[in-house]
Amino acid sequence: MKSEYRVAIVGGGIIGCSIAYHLAKFGEKDVVLFEANYLSSGSTGRCAGGIRQQWSSVNNVLLAMRSVELFERMSQETSMDIEYKQGGYLVLSYDEKEAAEFEKNVQMQKELGLDVQILSPNQVEERYPYLKVDGVKLATFCQTDGHANPHLANFAYAKAAQRLGVELFTHTKVVAVEALGDHFEVLTSRGTVRCQVLVNAAGAHSKEIGKMVGVDLPTESYRHQILVTEAVKNFFDPMAISFSGNFYMRQTKHGHFIMGQGDPDEKPQINYNVTYRFEKDMAKKMTKIFPFLGRLRIVRHWSGHYNMSPDAQPIIGEAPNLPNFYYAVGFSGHGFMLAPAVGEAIAQMIIHGKTLNVDISELNLQRFEKGIVRERNVV
Amino acid sequence: MVKTDFLVIGGGPAGLCAAIETSKRDVKTLIVDEGVELGGQLVKQTHKFFGHEGFYASVRGFEIAKKLISQLNENVTVKTQTTVTGIYEDIITAYDREKDLVFEIEPKYILISVGASERFIPFKNNHLPGVYGAGAVQTLMNQFKVLPGKRVLMIGSGNIGLIVSYQLLQAGAEVKAIVEIADKVGGYDVHARKVKRLGIPILLRHTIKEAIGEEKVEGAVIAQVDEKYNIIAGSEKEFAVDVICVAVGLVPSIELASMAGVQIQYIPELGGYVPYRDREMRTNVKNIFVAGDLAGIEEATTAMIEGKIAGLKVAEEITGQNLDSEIERMQEELVEFRSGPFSEKVRKGLERFFPQEMMSYSKTSQQDLGPVGKLRPVIECYENIPCNPCQTSCPAGAITVPENINSLPIVDYSKCTGCGICVMKCPGLAIFLVQENFQPDRDLVIMPYEFLPLPEKGQEVIALDREGREVARAQVVRVVKSANKTHLVHLSVPAGMGEVVRSFRLPKETESFVCRCEEITVDQVERAIEEGFTDYEELRRYLRVGMGPCGGRTCRSIVLGILARKTGKTLKEIGFGTFRPPSMPVKFESIVKGEIENEK
Repeated sequence: MKSEYRVAIVGGGIIGCSIAYHLAKFGEKDVVLFEANYLSSGSTGRCAGGIRQQWSSVNNVLLAMRSVELFERMSQETSMDIEYKQGGYLVLSYDEKEAAEFEKNVQMQKELGLDVQILSPNQVEERYPYLKVDGVKLATFCQTDGHANPHLANFAYAKAAQRLGVELFTHTKVVAVEALGDHFEVLTSRGTVRCQVLVNAAGAHSKEIGKMVGVDLPTESYRHQILVTEAVKNFFDPMAISFSGNFYMRQTKHGHFIMGQGDPDEKPQINYNVTYRFEKDMAKKMTKIFPFLGRLRIVRHWSGHYNMSPDAQPIIGEAPNLPNFYYAVGFSGHGFMLAPAVGEAIAQMIIHGKTLNVDISELNLQRFEKGIVRERNVV
Repeated sequence: MVKTDFLVIGGGPAGLCAAIETSKRDVKTLIVDEGVELGGQLVKQTHKFFGHEGFYASVRGFEIAKKLISQLNENVTVKTQTTVTGIYEDIITAYDREKDLVFEIEPKYILISVGASERFIPFKNNHLPGVYGAGAVQTLMNQFKVLPGKRVLMIGSGNIGLIVSYQLLQAGAEVKAIVEIADKVGGYDVHARKVKRLGIPILLRHTIKEAIGEEKVEGAVIAQVDEKYNIIAGSEKEFAVDVICVAVGLVPSIELASMAGVQIQYIPELGGYVPYRDREMRTNVKNIFVAGDLAGIEEATTAMIEGKIAGLKVAEEITGQNLDSEIERMQEELVEFRSGPFSEKVRKGLERFFPQEMMSYSKTSQQDLGPVGKLRPVIECYENIPCNPCQTSCPAGAITVPENINSLPIVDYSKCTGCGICVMKCPGLAIFLVQENFQPDRDLVIMPYEFLPLPEKGQEVIALDREGREVARAQVVRVVKSANKTHLVHLSVPAGMGEVVRSFRLPKETESFVCRCEEITVDQVERAIEEGFTDYEELRRYLRVGMGPCGGRTCRSIVLGILARKTGKTLKEIGFGTFRPPSMPVKFESIVKGEIENEK
């Protein structure tokens, strides 16, 4: 480890690694990344790997569309097969009011250039005969949505960044940071380094890192549970998801079904335990919608965290009161799918002082002063 | 006493070509050569040569030797296993090893085309058996079918170092690394890519420090060097090898020329001390000519052309025929071959003897990748090397090397039929056919393959990228055998990997599995650790080891053991990872049934 770098990144999840990779790709190679545990040990390595562009807010749609462009060439660019599949996202609505909103959202998404369709319950049944549509009001479908293996995508960015010269230290915890005007002193469990630019990509721990430099980030981490079944032959292309039905499910490249739901009773805290109640809820609900699951066996069940922001949209930018302190936090359960575009944008901000592909200015911290418009398309 | 019109000393590409020209014109010609067979270095070369068809491009070296020898006629006498021992004022002597006698030769004209000898470098223990020159390795391996060792460290990344590394791999040896003291690869980019995609690291700014061993080579220590090529203390690395192959360049063998009174000059661009010669390969001694590597370190094609020029000139003087136009045509060939950037040094060197001409050529490379989804060639040839078989072999006329052979090839994708002939022909093995999504979620890559055994249709192989990294599992969908031994292997790879996969390796015959649920091998675990996945949880996520139905019951301890061994850490330091419920796979319907019972 050197004693000084131009940029230091806190967090070895896909956000931190994407920022590191894009910095190096654009020519800034004097970069160090600290990961307190191992690569993908936090939210990235625990997520379902969905990549969706169907959002209710314009910002999220645009960022997600840019991300899809980058995901499409990521295996090639990083030389690692990230198991990317554009099998589409099937969004099911079980609620009249929500269904009406979906129609408005689809209009907005189409205006932004996204190819989205509205499907009636009959059309859904016709396309996916193994899915019971009882109670479904309507569904939306976007073929270019899809999924990838989050571990491999995380490693792909990390290894590509390392090959370009980024130094990456795992099992290295950032203990304290001193903001000293023109630079930061970052105290880690491996020693102290000095940097000009500091990036908070600490996911579930984003608030703690913000506190170290006196930037109050309004994020809270909530536990989410998720499970995976044994593998069967691949037949299920899309990610099926419902906000009103509270579930998501996809089949991985290796044939496993991976699925989860949100829990409104969770309190903000870091908690890696799992509950049997979750398995019971999932078993009851999912076997009704997908009867074929009945005989499939659950092999593993774990939990991770959504780092929630007040409006369920990410907080991305440079701190207004502390220049050169950047953050990409509060992804509220959809950080993996936005990581390519966010990494690119932050790298551009650090190097050029502005983003070149997607305008993310409305995602900065100051927006909360104006009031909160919540992203509703979240499980 | 043997009397002859023309004595050719050294029957390599230059000498043979001279003899072809003189014998064709009824000049009595004697070729004297040290080797057991004619051909010089050609007989050891198993790779396809660059250039154009007129000078055997795309033909393998040893086959070029056969083609040249077949053109000699009854005017030629050949004495192999014979060394010219002196060019005296009164006579020339040669030692016949078979008859064990020295005999005298009295020629009217002499061509000295004895080539070069290998440069050597001093390092500690470089006297140990197991330290070889690259030429010796080629002689043993390619001419006499003896593999000098199993694990090799190559010193030098010039064309010879790169080619011999590739040939060692073909012969079944393991090449641990190629060490290069400069900050860039010395040889052609296409040769470097051939070894890199097989996973052979090229360590730039490194040099050999010492050979390890008592009786023979058992290892090698290499080290990094600074800008002034001094070894950086503390940067040493050790390799367990039984062969250290030195390929650090060649020096012209000027002994005979010098003793014959030929003027010798020091011209580093030509390889050091070289004999003076004019445009027609004549030295300052009127009846003595030189050609090939002795006249300046270059390659076989220019050696052949120089030989032809010398032969033509000798024939002209002996027979009185006017051969000026033939000589001029060959001189133009030389100019074309020497117009590229790799010949810049040679041009600079020869400038000391006579002014050099140069042809301009196109540096424009293919800009587009062609129509995505169509089966089409991707030509990874980015240096202006004099070579054009891709153009001349294409039956559809879809590939152009504009202006002259030094330009970069351009594909007209509208004409290309995807036949793959260019892939077989390309001497640099730099052409691949690619088709995106040839099947749902699969890309097709057709690549040149020169290893035995050939894979079989349907076989699963491990796909490698341009750096030789394992990037995916792939299926062999077809194998097309080619008469020129560059076979075509059709690989089905995951979608998006068509632009990434450039090589593959066969799975080891006896893979030992760590994780039987997910079929992860010891080899895969070890490689992943070498790639930097040194945490149990990272390995699990990267390889899926322990993610199967058994929950890692059997593989966890094995993986932890391998981790401890490879990283030198204790099991306690490594930790044992996380266990997650359920401890055995549980059916959804069993959970639902329990709930129904519960609610009763």
